[in-house]
Amino acid sequence: MSLLKTSLHEDHLALNAKMAPFAGFDMPLQYSSVKDEVLAVREHAGVFDVSHMGEFFVHGPEAVKFVDHIMTNDFQNAEMLKAVYSPLCRDNGTVIDDLIAYKLASDRVLICVNASNIEKDWNWISTKTSGFDIKLENHSKEFSLLALQGPKAELILRDFGIKLPTDFPYYSILETSHEGEKIIIARTGYTGEDGFEVFSSDEYAKKLWNKLIFNGVKPCGLAARDVLRVEVCYPLYGHEINDDVTPLDAGLAWTVKLDKQDFIGKNALAEYSPKFQLVRLSLERGIPREGYEVLNAEGVKIGTVTSGTMSVVTGKGVCLALVEKSKAPKDKKYLINIRNTNYEANFHAKAFVNGGHK
Amino acid sequence: MSNNIPVELKYTKDHEWTKIEGDTVTIGITDFAQSALGDIVFVELPEVGKTLNHHQTFGVVESIKSVSDLFSPIAGTVLEVNKDLVNAPEKCNTEPYGSAWMIKVKLSNPDELNNLLSASDYQNFLSTL
Repeated sequence: MSLLKTSLHEDHLALNAKMAPFAGFDMPLQYSSVKDEVLAVREHAGVFDVSHMGEFFVHGPEAVKFVDHIMTNDFQNAEMLKAVYSPLCRDNGTVIDDLIAYKLASDRVLICVNASNIEKDWNWISTKTSGFDIKLENHSKEFSLLALQGPKAELILRDFGIKLPTDFPYYSILETSHEGEKIIIARTGYTGEDGFEVFSSDEYAKKLWNKLIFNGVKPCGLAARDVLRVEVCYPLYGHEINDDVTPLDAGLAWTVKLDKQDFIGKNALAEYSPKFQLVRLSLERGIPREGYEVLNAEGVKIGTVTSGTMSVVTGKGVCLALVEKSKAPKDKKYLINIRNTNYEANFHAKAFVNGGHK
Repeated sequence: MSNNIPVELKYTKDHEWTKIEGDTVTIGITDFAQSALGDIVFVELPEVGKTLNHHQTFGVVESIKSVSDLFSPIAGTVLEVNKDLVNAPEKCNTEPYGSAWMIKVKLSNPDELNNLLSASDYQNFLSTL
Protein backbone atom coordinates (compact mmCIF):
# COMPACT_ATOMS: atom_id res chain seq x y z
CA MET A 1 0.00 0.00 0.00
CA SER A 2 1.40 3.37 -0.90
CA LEU A 3 1.89 5.89 1.84
CA LEU A 4 -0.38 8.88 2.23
CA LYS A 5 1.09 12.36 2.00
CA THR A 6 0.19 15.52 3.84
CA SER A 7 -0.28 18.69 1.83
CA LEU A 8 3.22 19.78 2.91
CA HIS A 9 4.99 16.67 1.64
CA GLU A 10 6.89 18.54 -1.09
CA ASP A 11 7.91 21.21 1.39
CA HIS A 12 9.41 18.57 3.69
CA LEU A 13 11.40 17.10 0.81
CA ALA A 14 12.57 20.59 -0.18
CA LEU A 15 13.93 21.00 3.37
CA ASN A 16 15.83 17.69 3.02
CA ALA A 17 13.80 16.04 5.76
CA LYS A 18 14.56 12.45 6.61
CA MET A 19 11.19 10.83 5.91
CA ALA A 20 9.69 7.70 7.47
CA PRO A 21 6.36 5.88 7.41
CA PHE A 22 4.12 6.76 10.35
CA ALA A 23 0.46 5.77 10.72
CA GLY A 24 0.24 5.18 6.97
CA PHE A 25 1.73 8.57 6.08
CA ASP A 26 5.17 9.44 4.74
CA MET A 27 6.16 11.85 7.51
CA PRO A 28 9.24 13.94 8.36
CA LEU A 29 11.30 12.28 11.08
CA GLN A 30 13.84 15.08 11.34
CA TYR A 31 15.12 17.99 9.26
CA SER A 32 18.38 18.92 10.93
CA SER A 33 19.43 17.51 14.27
CA VAL A 34 16.88 16.12 16.72
CA LYS A 35 18.76 17.85 19.51
CA ASP A 36 18.53 21.25 17.81
CA GLU A 37 14.85 20.72 17.02
CA VAL A 38 14.04 19.84 20.66
CA LEU A 39 15.97 22.84 21.95
CA ALA A 40 14.28 25.16 19.45
CA VAL A 41 10.90 24.19 20.90
CA ARG A 42 12.03 24.46 24.53
CA GLU A 43 13.78 27.80 24.04
CA HIS A 44 12.26 29.59 21.02
CA ALA A 45 9.75 27.97 18.69
CA GLY A 46 9.48 25.08 16.29
CA VAL A 47 6.79 24.02 13.83
CA PHE A 48 5.46 20.51 13.20
CA ASP A 49 3.28 19.29 10.36
CA VAL A 50 0.73 17.14 12.15
CA SER A 51 -1.79 17.08 9.32
CA HIS A 52 -1.91 13.29 9.54
CA MET A 53 -4.04 13.59 12.68
CA GLY A 54 -7.79 13.09 12.41
CA GLU A 55 -10.57 15.67 12.80
CA PHE A 56 -14.17 14.76 13.52
CA PHE A 57 -16.97 17.29 13.95
CA VAL A 58 -20.05 16.75 16.06
CA HIS A 59 -22.95 19.04 15.15
CA GLY A 60 -26.34 19.38 16.76
CA PRO A 61 -28.13 20.40 19.94
CA GLU A 62 -26.73 17.43 21.87
CA ALA A 63 -23.15 17.68 20.55
CA VAL A 64 -21.66 18.46 23.96
CA LYS A 65 -23.75 15.82 25.73
CA PHE A 66 -22.65 13.22 23.17
CA VAL A 67 -18.95 14.01 23.44
CA ASP A 68 -19.23 13.96 27.23
CA HIS A 69 -20.85 10.52 26.93
CA ILE A 70 -18.08 8.95 24.84
CA MET A 71 -15.18 10.33 26.86
CA THR A 72 -14.06 9.69 30.42
CA ASN A 73 -13.06 13.28 31.24
CA ASP A 74 -15.60 16.02 31.95
CA PHE A 75 -16.63 17.86 28.79
CA GLN A 76 -20.13 18.94 29.84
CA ASN A 77 -18.81 21.45 32.39
CA ALA A 78 -15.92 22.77 30.30
CA GLU A 79 -16.36 26.44 29.39
CA MET A 80 -17.20 27.47 25.86
CA LEU A 81 -14.09 27.75 23.60
CA LYS A 82 -12.08 25.40 25.78
CA ALA A 83 -10.32 22.14 24.96
CA VAL A 84 -10.36 18.95 27.04
CA TYR A 85 -7.93 16.01 26.83
CA SER A 86 -9.47 12.60 27.38
CA PRO A 87 -9.12 8.89 26.77
CA LEU A 88 -11.81 7.26 24.64
CA CYS A 89 -12.76 3.97 26.28
CA ARG A 90 -14.73 0.83 25.56
CA ASP A 91 -17.50 -0.37 27.88
CA ASN A 92 -14.91 -2.53 29.68
CA GLY A 93 -12.74 0.53 30.34
CA THR A 94 -9.87 -0.29 27.96
CA VAL A 95 -8.48 2.52 25.85
CA ILE A 96 -9.43 2.91 22.18
CA ASP A 97 -7.48 6.15 21.79
CA ASP A 98 -6.81 9.47 23.46
CA LEU A 99 -8.11 12.70 21.99
CA ILE A 100 -8.62 16.40 22.48
CA ALA A 101 -12.19 17.73 22.20
CA TYR A 102 -12.71 21.42 21.43
CA LYS A 103 -15.96 23.11 22.47
CA LEU A 104 -16.47 25.49 19.52
CA ALA A 105 -20.14 26.15 20.32
CA SER A 106 -22.93 24.55 22.33
CA ASP A 107 -23.89 22.68 19.16
CA ARG A 108 -20.48 22.13 17.58
CA VAL A 109 -17.49 20.16 18.83
CA LEU A 110 -14.20 19.36 17.10
CA ILE A 111 -12.47 16.14 18.10
CA CYS A 112 -8.82 15.62 17.20
CA VAL A 113 -7.61 12.01 17.24
CA ASN A 114 -4.39 10.10 16.56
CA ALA A 115 -3.63 9.41 12.89
CA SER A 116 -3.13 5.70 13.50
CA ASN A 117 -6.60 5.41 15.03
CA ILE A 118 -8.77 7.51 12.71
CA GLU A 119 -10.63 4.54 11.26
CA LYS A 120 -10.89 2.67 14.56
CA ASP A 121 -12.18 5.77 16.39
CA TRP A 122 -14.63 6.60 13.62
CA ASN A 123 -15.98 3.05 13.59
CA TRP A 124 -16.45 3.18 17.35
CA ILE A 125 -17.87 6.67 17.74
CA SER A 126 -20.24 6.41 14.79
CA THR A 127 -21.96 3.37 16.36
CA LYS A 128 -22.60 5.29 19.59
CA THR A 129 -24.72 8.11 18.18
CA SER A 130 -28.19 6.58 18.49
CA GLY A 131 -30.43 8.44 20.88
CA PHE A 132 -28.44 11.67 20.48
CA ASP A 133 -29.64 14.58 18.37
CA ILE A 134 -26.35 15.03 16.55
CA LYS A 135 -24.59 14.64 13.22
CA LEU A 136 -21.08 13.23 13.11
CA GLU A 137 -18.67 14.16 10.29
CA ASN A 138 -15.15 12.99 9.49
CA HIS A 139 -13.12 15.89 8.06
CA SER A 140 -9.69 14.30 8.52
CA LYS A 141 -8.82 14.57 4.82
CA GLU A 142 -9.89 18.20 4.43
CA PHE A 143 -7.87 19.66 7.29
CA SER A 144 -4.20 20.46 7.52
CA LEU A 145 -2.82 20.91 11.03
CA LEU A 146 0.32 22.76 12.04
CA ALA A 147 1.64 22.81 15.60
CA LEU A 148 3.70 25.89 16.41
CA GLN A 149 5.28 25.16 19.77
CA GLY A 150 7.61 27.04 22.08
CA PRO A 151 7.83 30.15 24.27
CA LYS A 152 7.99 32.47 21.24
CA ALA A 153 4.93 30.97 19.52
CA GLU A 154 2.44 33.59 20.69
CA LEU A 155 4.65 36.49 19.63
CA ILE A 156 5.16 34.97 16.19
CA LEU A 157 1.43 34.49 15.53
CA ARG A 158 0.64 38.03 16.72
CA ASP A 159 3.40 39.39 14.47
CA PHE A 160 1.76 37.61 11.55
CA GLY A 161 -1.40 39.59 12.26
CA ILE A 162 -3.42 36.71 13.65
CA LYS A 163 -5.82 38.28 16.14
CA LEU A 164 -5.63 36.37 19.39
CA PRO A 165 -7.65 37.57 22.39
CA THR A 166 -5.62 39.23 25.17
CA ASP A 167 -6.82 36.52 27.51
CA PHE A 168 -6.23 33.27 25.64
CA PRO A 169 -4.95 30.69 28.15
CA TYR A 170 -3.60 27.19 27.52
CA TYR A 171 -6.33 24.83 26.24
CA SER A 172 -8.41 27.67 24.74
CA ILE A 173 -9.66 27.69 21.17
CA LEU A 174 -10.65 30.36 18.67
CA GLU A 175 -12.28 30.42 15.25
CA THR A 176 -11.05 33.34 13.25
CA SER A 177 -10.15 34.59 9.80
CA HIS A 178 -6.67 35.33 8.61
CA GLU A 179 -5.78 36.51 5.12
CA GLY A 180 -9.29 35.67 3.99
CA GLU A 181 -9.22 32.09 5.25
CA LYS A 182 -11.23 30.60 8.10
CA ILE A 183 -8.93 28.93 10.60
CA ILE A 184 -9.26 27.32 14.01
CA ILE A 185 -6.48 28.09 16.47
CA ALA A 186 -6.09 26.13 19.68
CA ARG A 187 -3.58 26.83 22.40
CA THR A 188 -2.71 23.16 22.66
CA GLY A 189 0.10 20.80 21.73
CA TYR A 190 1.95 17.79 23.01
CA THR A 191 5.37 19.18 23.82
CA GLY A 192 4.78 20.63 27.30
CA GLU A 193 5.61 24.08 25.98
CA ASP A 194 3.26 26.93 25.27
CA GLY A 195 2.09 26.72 21.70
CA PHE A 196 -0.70 26.62 19.18
CA GLU A 197 -2.28 24.18 16.79
CA VAL A 198 -3.75 25.69 13.64
CA PHE A 199 -6.47 23.77 11.80
CA SER A 200 -6.90 25.08 8.26
CA SER A 201 -7.22 24.37 4.57
CA ASP A 202 -4.22 22.81 2.83
CA GLU A 203 -3.53 26.08 0.98
CA TYR A 204 -3.46 28.14 4.17
CA ALA A 205 -1.24 25.59 5.94
CA LYS A 206 1.25 25.72 3.07
CA LYS A 207 1.39 29.51 3.23
CA LEU A 208 1.72 29.56 7.03
CA TRP A 209 4.38 26.83 7.02
CA ASN A 210 6.53 28.64 4.50
CA LYS A 211 6.11 31.96 6.24
CA LEU A 212 7.17 30.41 9.54
CA ILE A 213 10.22 28.77 7.96
CA PHE A 214 11.10 32.00 6.15
CA ASN A 215 10.98 33.79 9.50
CA GLY A 216 13.46 31.39 11.04
CA VAL A 217 11.12 29.07 12.90
CA LYS A 218 12.72 25.63 12.99
CA PRO A 219 10.89 22.82 11.20
CA CYS A 220 10.68 19.88 13.61
CA GLY A 221 9.97 16.23 12.92
CA LEU A 222 8.37 13.29 14.67
CA ALA A 223 11.63 12.31 16.40
CA ALA A 224 11.84 15.65 18.23
CA ARG A 225 8.11 15.48 18.94
CA ASP A 226 8.57 12.14 20.68
CA VAL A 227 11.53 13.32 22.76
CA LEU A 228 9.58 16.41 23.82
CA ARG A 229 6.54 14.45 24.98
CA VAL A 230 8.61 11.83 26.82
CA GLU A 231 10.57 14.58 28.64
CA VAL A 232 7.29 15.95 30.01
CA CYS A 233 5.87 12.40 30.48
CA TYR A 234 2.80 12.65 28.26
CA PRO A 235 1.44 9.23 27.34
CA LEU A 236 1.14 8.14 23.72
CA TYR A 237 -1.33 5.69 22.29
CA GLY A 238 0.43 2.46 21.30
CA HIS A 239 3.00 2.93 24.03
CA GLU A 240 1.70 3.83 27.51
CA ILE A 241 -1.93 3.31 26.56
CA ASN A 242 -3.36 0.65 24.28
CA ASP A 243 -6.26 -1.73 23.78
CA ASP A 244 -5.27 -3.83 26.79
CA VAL A 245 -5.04 -1.23 29.55
CA THR A 246 -7.40 1.27 31.14
CA PRO A 247 -6.59 4.93 31.83
CA LEU A 248 -6.25 3.94 35.50
CA ASP A 249 -3.30 1.69 34.63
CA ALA A 250 -1.39 4.43 32.85
CA GLY A 251 -1.33 7.45 35.14
CA LEU A 252 -4.51 8.91 33.67
CA ALA A 253 -6.82 8.61 36.69
CA TRP A 254 -7.14 12.42 36.56
CA THR A 255 -8.97 12.08 33.24
CA VAL A 256 -11.57 9.62 34.56
CA LYS A 257 -14.43 11.51 36.18
CA LEU A 258 -16.44 8.84 37.93
CA ASP A 259 -18.69 11.47 39.53
CA LYS A 260 -20.06 12.69 36.20
CA GLN A 261 -23.23 11.26 34.70
CA ASP A 262 -23.17 8.06 32.72
CA PHE A 263 -20.38 7.63 30.20
CA ILE A 264 -19.00 4.71 28.23
CA GLY A 265 -16.78 2.61 30.48
CA LYS A 266 -18.01 4.19 33.72
CA ASN A 267 -19.28 1.02 35.38
CA ALA A 268 -16.20 -1.00 34.51
CA LEU A 269 -13.80 1.75 35.58
CA ALA A 270 -15.67 2.34 38.86
CA GLU A 271 -15.06 -1.28 39.88
CA TYR A 272 -11.61 -1.71 38.36
CA SER A 273 -8.48 -2.06 40.45
CA PRO A 274 -5.49 -1.21 38.27
CA LYS A 275 -3.12 -3.98 37.20
CA PHE A 276 -0.38 -1.59 36.15
CA GLN A 277 1.24 1.60 37.29
CA LEU A 278 3.09 4.09 35.10
CA VAL A 279 6.53 5.03 36.44
CA ARG A 280 9.14 7.56 35.33
CA LEU A 281 12.71 6.31 35.45
CA SER A 282 16.08 7.69 34.39
CA LEU A 283 19.59 6.27 34.16
CA GLU A 284 22.92 7.84 35.01
CA ARG A 285 24.41 6.04 32.04
CA GLY A 286 22.75 4.36 29.08
CA ILE A 287 19.43 4.88 27.39
CA PRO A 288 16.30 2.92 28.28
CA ARG A 289 14.39 1.95 25.14
CA GLU A 290 10.88 0.71 24.51
CA GLY A 291 10.61 -3.00 25.29
CA TYR A 292 13.49 -3.18 27.78
CA GLU A 293 12.66 -5.08 30.97
CA VAL A 294 12.13 -3.28 34.27
CA LEU A 295 13.05 -5.21 37.41
CA ASN A 296 12.94 -4.74 41.18
CA ALA A 297 16.15 -4.57 43.26
CA GLU A 298 16.14 -8.37 43.56
CA GLY A 299 16.28 -8.68 39.78
CA VAL A 300 12.71 -9.93 39.31
CA LYS A 301 10.98 -8.63 36.19
CA ILE A 302 8.04 -6.42 37.11
CA GLY A 303 7.39 -4.43 33.95
CA THR A 304 8.47 -3.03 30.61
CA VAL A 305 9.68 0.30 29.24
CA THR A 306 6.91 1.78 27.08
CA SER A 307 8.79 4.85 25.76
CA GLY A 308 12.43 5.75 26.20
CA THR A 309 14.89 8.24 24.83
CA MET A 310 17.90 10.36 25.60
CA SER A 311 16.54 13.55 27.13
CA VAL A 312 18.01 16.53 25.31
CA VAL A 313 17.33 18.84 28.26
CA THR A 314 18.66 16.66 31.10
CA GLY A 315 21.28 14.77 29.07
CA LYS A 316 20.15 11.50 30.69
CA GLY A 317 18.40 8.43 29.38
CA VAL A 318 14.76 8.70 30.49
CA CYS A 319 11.73 6.49 30.14
CA LEU A 320 8.14 5.76 30.98
CA ALA A 321 7.40 2.19 32.02
CA LEU A 322 4.36 0.16 32.94
CA VAL A 323 4.99 -2.03 35.97
CA GLU A 324 2.68 -4.50 37.69
CA LYS A 325 1.06 -2.51 40.46
CA SER A 326 1.13 -5.35 42.99
CA LYS A 327 4.87 -5.74 42.45
CA ALA A 328 5.87 -2.06 42.37
CA PRO A 329 8.67 -1.80 44.96
CA LYS A 330 7.89 0.39 47.97
CA ASP A 331 11.55 1.39 48.21
CA LYS A 332 11.26 2.81 44.63
CA LYS A 333 14.37 0.86 43.65
CA TYR A 334 14.13 -0.16 40.04
CA LEU A 335 16.56 -1.77 37.61
CA ILE A 336 16.47 -1.63 33.82
CA ASN A 337 17.95 -4.43 31.74
CA ILE A 338 20.00 -3.26 28.79
CA ARG A 339 21.71 -5.89 26.65
CA ASN A 340 21.74 -8.43 29.52
CA THR A 341 23.07 -6.06 32.18
CA ASN A 342 20.89 -4.55 34.93
CA TYR A 343 21.37 -0.85 35.61
CA GLU A 344 20.04 1.01 38.66
CA ALA A 345 17.40 3.53 37.69
CA ASN A 346 16.40 6.77 39.38
CA PHE A 347 12.71 7.00 40.27
CA HIS A 348 11.02 10.33 39.45
CA ALA A 349 7.87 11.45 41.23
CA LYS A 350 7.42 14.20 38.62
CA ALA A 351 8.14 14.73 34.93
CA PHE A 352 11.80 14.91 33.84
CA VAL A 353 11.28 18.39 32.38
CA ASN A 354 8.80 21.08 33.37
CA GLY A 355 7.24 22.40 30.20
CA GLY A 356 6.75 26.14 30.02
CA HIS A 357 3.06 26.16 29.10
CA LYS A 358 0.83 28.53 31.01
CA MET B 1 24.21 13.90 3.47
CA SER B 2 27.78 14.25 4.62
CA ASN B 3 30.08 11.82 2.86
CA ASN B 4 33.81 12.17 3.42
CA ILE B 5 35.77 9.00 2.50
CA PRO B 6 39.54 9.22 3.15
CA VAL B 7 41.45 7.21 0.51
CA GLU B 8 44.03 5.80 2.95
CA LEU B 9 41.40 3.81 4.91
CA LYS B 10 39.53 0.56 4.16
CA TYR B 11 35.78 0.13 4.68
CA THR B 12 32.92 -2.30 5.27
CA LYS B 13 29.32 -2.43 4.08
CA ASP B 14 28.36 -1.95 7.75
CA HIS B 15 29.82 1.58 7.40
CA GLU B 16 32.91 1.03 9.49
CA TRP B 17 36.36 2.27 8.58
CA THR B 18 39.63 0.52 9.33
CA LYS B 19 43.16 1.81 9.45
CA ILE B 20 45.74 -0.96 9.03
CA GLU B 21 49.20 -0.58 10.62
CA GLY B 22 51.07 -3.89 10.58
CA ASP B 23 48.85 -6.32 12.49
CA THR B 24 47.02 -3.56 14.36
CA VAL B 25 43.68 -2.42 12.98
CA THR B 26 41.96 0.75 14.22
CA ILE B 27 38.19 0.75 13.77
CA GLY B 28 35.55 3.48 13.73
CA ILE B 29 32.34 4.43 11.94
CA THR B 30 32.25 6.37 8.67
CA ASP B 31 31.10 9.90 8.02
CA PHE B 32 28.11 8.44 6.17
CA ALA B 33 27.20 6.37 9.26
CA GLN B 34 27.41 9.26 11.70
CA SER B 35 25.38 11.46 9.38
CA ALA B 36 22.70 8.79 8.91
CA LEU B 37 22.47 8.21 12.67
CA GLY B 38 22.26 11.88 13.60
CA ASP B 39 23.25 13.15 17.05
CA ILE B 40 25.19 10.33 18.67
CA VAL B 41 24.58 10.39 22.41
CA PHE B 42 25.89 7.06 23.67
CA VAL B 43 28.71 4.66 22.79
CA GLU B 44 29.33 1.27 24.39
CA LEU B 45 32.66 -0.45 23.67
CA PRO B 46 34.23 -3.80 24.69
CA GLU B 47 36.89 -4.46 27.34
CA VAL B 48 40.55 -4.61 26.38
CA GLY B 49 41.53 -8.24 25.84
CA LYS B 50 38.19 -9.35 24.43
CA THR B 51 38.43 -11.74 21.50
CA LEU B 52 36.30 -10.82 18.51
CA ASN B 53 35.19 -13.02 15.66
CA HIS B 54 34.68 -11.66 12.18
CA HIS B 55 31.39 -9.71 12.12
CA GLN B 56 30.83 -10.16 15.85
CA THR B 57 29.07 -7.29 17.65
CA PHE B 58 31.73 -5.36 19.55
CA GLY B 59 29.67 -2.43 20.78
CA VAL B 60 26.74 -0.12 20.29
CA VAL B 61 26.22 3.45 19.12
CA GLU B 62 23.00 5.19 20.00
CA SER B 63 21.52 8.36 18.60
CA ILE B 64 18.65 10.06 20.38
CA LYS B 65 16.11 7.80 18.69
CA SER B 66 18.04 4.73 17.55
CA VAL B 67 20.33 1.91 18.67
CA SER B 68 22.88 0.43 16.21
CA ASP B 69 25.23 -2.49 16.72
CA LEU B 70 28.89 -2.20 15.78
CA PHE B 71 30.31 -5.20 13.91
CA SER B 72 33.95 -6.17 13.96
CA PRO B 73 35.27 -6.09 10.37
CA ILE B 74 37.99 -8.62 11.29
CA ALA B 75 38.78 -11.30 13.89
CA GLY B 76 41.27 -10.44 16.60
CA THR B 77 41.88 -9.30 20.15
CA VAL B 78 41.00 -5.85 21.48
CA LEU B 79 44.23 -3.99 22.28
CA GLU B 80 42.90 -0.57 23.12
CA VAL B 81 39.54 1.16 23.57
CA ASN B 82 38.79 4.85 23.10
CA LYS B 83 37.43 5.66 26.56
CA ASP B 84 37.01 9.34 25.65
CA LEU B 85 33.94 8.44 23.61
CA VAL B 86 32.09 7.40 26.76
CA ASN B 87 32.03 10.98 27.97
CA ALA B 88 32.08 12.64 24.56
CA PRO B 89 30.03 10.51 22.16
CA GLU B 90 29.33 13.60 20.05
CA LYS B 91 32.90 13.28 18.72
CA CYS B 92 31.51 10.50 16.49
CA ASN B 93 29.60 13.21 14.65
CA THR B 94 32.33 15.81 14.48
CA GLU B 95 35.48 13.72 13.94
CA PRO B 96 34.45 10.23 12.82
CA TYR B 97 37.88 9.48 11.32
CA GLY B 98 39.92 11.26 13.97
CA SER B 99 39.35 11.46 17.71
CA ALA B 100 36.29 9.19 17.44
CA TRP B 101 38.21 6.02 16.61
CA MET B 102 36.61 3.23 18.67
CA ILE B 103 38.89 0.25 19.15
CA LYS B 104 42.30 -1.08 18.12
CA VAL B 105 42.41 -4.79 17.40
CA LYS B 106 45.34 -7.18 17.00
CA LEU B 107 44.54 -8.95 13.78
CA SER B 108 44.41 -12.78 13.96
CA ASN B 109 43.89 -13.57 10.27
CA PRO B 110 45.59 -11.20 7.80
CA ASP B 111 43.67 -12.80 4.87
CA GLU B 112 40.51 -11.09 6.11
CA LEU B 113 41.93 -7.74 5.09
CA ASN B 114 41.22 -8.72 1.48
CA ASN B 115 37.49 -8.54 2.23
CA LEU B 116 37.64 -4.85 3.10
CA LEU B 117 36.55 -2.23 0.59
CA SER B 118 38.78 0.47 -0.85
CA ALA B 119 37.59 4.07 -0.63
CA SER B 120 36.34 3.94 -4.23
CA ASP B 121 34.57 0.59 -3.66
CA TYR B 122 32.86 2.05 -0.58
CA GLN B 123 31.89 5.16 -2.54
CA ASN B 124 30.36 2.91 -5.22
CA PHE B 125 28.55 0.90 -2.56
CA LEU B 126 27.06 4.08 -1.07
CA SER B 127 25.79 5.13 -4.48
CA THR B 128 23.73 1.89 -4.63
CA LEU B 129 21.90 2.67 -1.39
